[in-house]
Amino acid sequence: MTNKFQNQQQLKNASNAALASILNLTLLPVIGFIALYSIYKKTKPHNIDHYHAVLGMKINIIAAIVLLLVTALMILLGGFDSPWTWVYVISYFTIVHTTFIMIALWVLVRSWSGDKLFNDA
Amino acid sequence: MKYESQGIAKMYFIAAIGLFVGQILFGVTMGLQYVWGDFLFPAIPFNVARMVHTNLLIVWLLFGFMGSAYFLVPEESERELYAPWLAKIMFWIFLVAGALTILGYLLVPYATLAEMTMNNLLPTMGREFLEQPTITKIGIVIVALAFLFNIGMTILTGKKTVITLVLLTGLAGLAVFFLFSFYVPDNLVLDKYFWWFVVHLWVEGVWELILASFLAYVLIKVTGVDREVIEKWLYIIIAMALISGLVGTGHHFFWIGTPDYWQWLGSIFSALEPIPFFMMTLFAFNVVNKRRRDHANKAAVLWALGTAVMAFLGAGVWGFLHTLAPVNYYTHGTQITAAHGHMAFYGAYVMVVLTMISYSMPIMRGQKAANVKAQALEMWSFWLMTVSMVFITLFLTGAGILQVYLQRYSEAPLPFMVVQDKIAIFYWLRELAGLVFLIGLLLYIYSFFAKGKEVGNIEAIAS
Repeated sequence: MTNKFQNQQQLKNASNAALASILNLTLLPVIGFIALYSIYKKTKPHNIDHYHAVLGMKINIIAAIVLLLVTALMILLGGFDSPWTWVYVISYFTIVHTTFIMIALWVLVRSWSGDKLFNDA
Repeated sequence: MKYESQGIAKMYFIAAIGLFVGQILFGVTMGLQYVWGDFLFPAIPFNVARMVHTNLLIVWLLFGFMGSAYFLVPEESERELYAPWLAKIMFWIFLVAGALTILGYLLVPYATLAEMTMNNLLPTMGREFLEQPTITKIGIVIVALAFLFNIGMTILTGKKTVITLVLLTGLAGLAVFFLFSFYVPDNLVLDKYFWWFVVHLWVEGVWELILASFLAYVLIKVTGVDREVIEKWLYIIIAMALISGLVGTGHHFFWIGTPDYWQWLGSIFSALEPIPFFMMTLFAFNVVNKRRRDHANKAAVLWALGTAVMAFLGAGVWGFLHTLAPVNYYTHGTQITAAHGHMAFYGAYVMVVLTMISYSMPIMRGQKAANVKAQALEMWSFWLMTVSMVFITLFLTGAGILQVYLQRYSEAPLPFMVVQDKIAIFYWLRELAGLVFLIGLLLYIYSFFAKGKEVGNIEAIAS
């Protein structure tokens, strides 16, 4: 449960964290994650900025595993010189990568309004 | 409906949907011809089916754009349409000219059609997507100018908003860039330049302005978010669309005998082209998240969000997939291009027209929103068409990757037709997805006739 009270700095940190998350998924891999981690270090548990920093890191770690590990496995098992390997790898990578970008986009929008990904029940 | 003349949009939308059905029927026919070459031959050869499929797409989208503009502009400008009679006359001229052109494609050989329409006086026929006889092209110009005059006068003599000015810029660009279709130089490279000045600058230039203005209008209406917020987004989106899209034309100039610098310019600027679509998605998500009301027309909200997401996927992601020169060296003109083309046209332009229809049609029929059953059917049709288009794109992408590998990348490249046999499984799967798309479209049409519980004028305030 996050604190209801949110100050401007927390909101700014939350949106910066969500932005760093998207950047790591798109233009600035690794650098985006370092930025995200540095924002995380500045936050305190139960605040909205902490929530978004943690969520951003979770999304990016899961994305890294799902994209890199599964892709590597596909290439290892399918063989580098098989055309079918590349049919699966390129299709899989494109669609899954885009899905993570879409999730990160929605998270960014939610962070702008100081909301969590899902409303508390 | 605030202004009576907005009702003119209805006839344009009905024609658009009718032609859309024709486009999909020819698409399904052609999809089958990929794997069953003699299907309907010689009555409808593959090249004719393809021409009808793409030309119908362009014509029905133009009907959709015109109808949408006729609905949107009076309300935004806070006045009746400048000349409703002109809009009605132009509708019939455009419809008859379009129908005669399609019949010409189907009933006589293309060369005979060129002779019959006196193409030799001003030769403009024979280029992909711009196959229309010169006389039809002149008709399109007359209709486009009359339409532009009507819309322009309504906007300029009424209240001016950012949405109408962006729309007017886009529509003016649409008319102006079409004029390049009348110039057909003998030099093939020059010819390609001018061809792309029509095709590219339409779909990756001025049409994006039209798309953004329609989307902004519907989002204002269904979310109640402040106009100022939406207008700021609109400025940034159209700036990015023009900055990236104009020089981005260079991605068509890689391998046609043009200077090498186009490989750099085309790659860099077209790599930026996903940005406006990315921002459009961010914009749509943001205003829906900040909405002040839950509009009764849930189907329209779904179409609007779907447009943003699918445009980003089809035009942005699938465009970027093969736009860099070193990648395009292998992928140029393969099924990857077809995959991108299908999802981009559907996601960006088909869906935005359907968004406008979804929002405006109930209003023109005297309702705030369609009845509960009709909306449920419409949302089913949304998912059927959208998911099947995702699969069409995925199957064509798979076919394209295999085609590139076997035909262009492998150390022992195979001939084109041998490769076509090897990727036939993808064509069968694409055909199945195409049939599902057709079912979705028929369900969409049926939703207009479905009777059910009225939703009334309830607008719940969003929590």
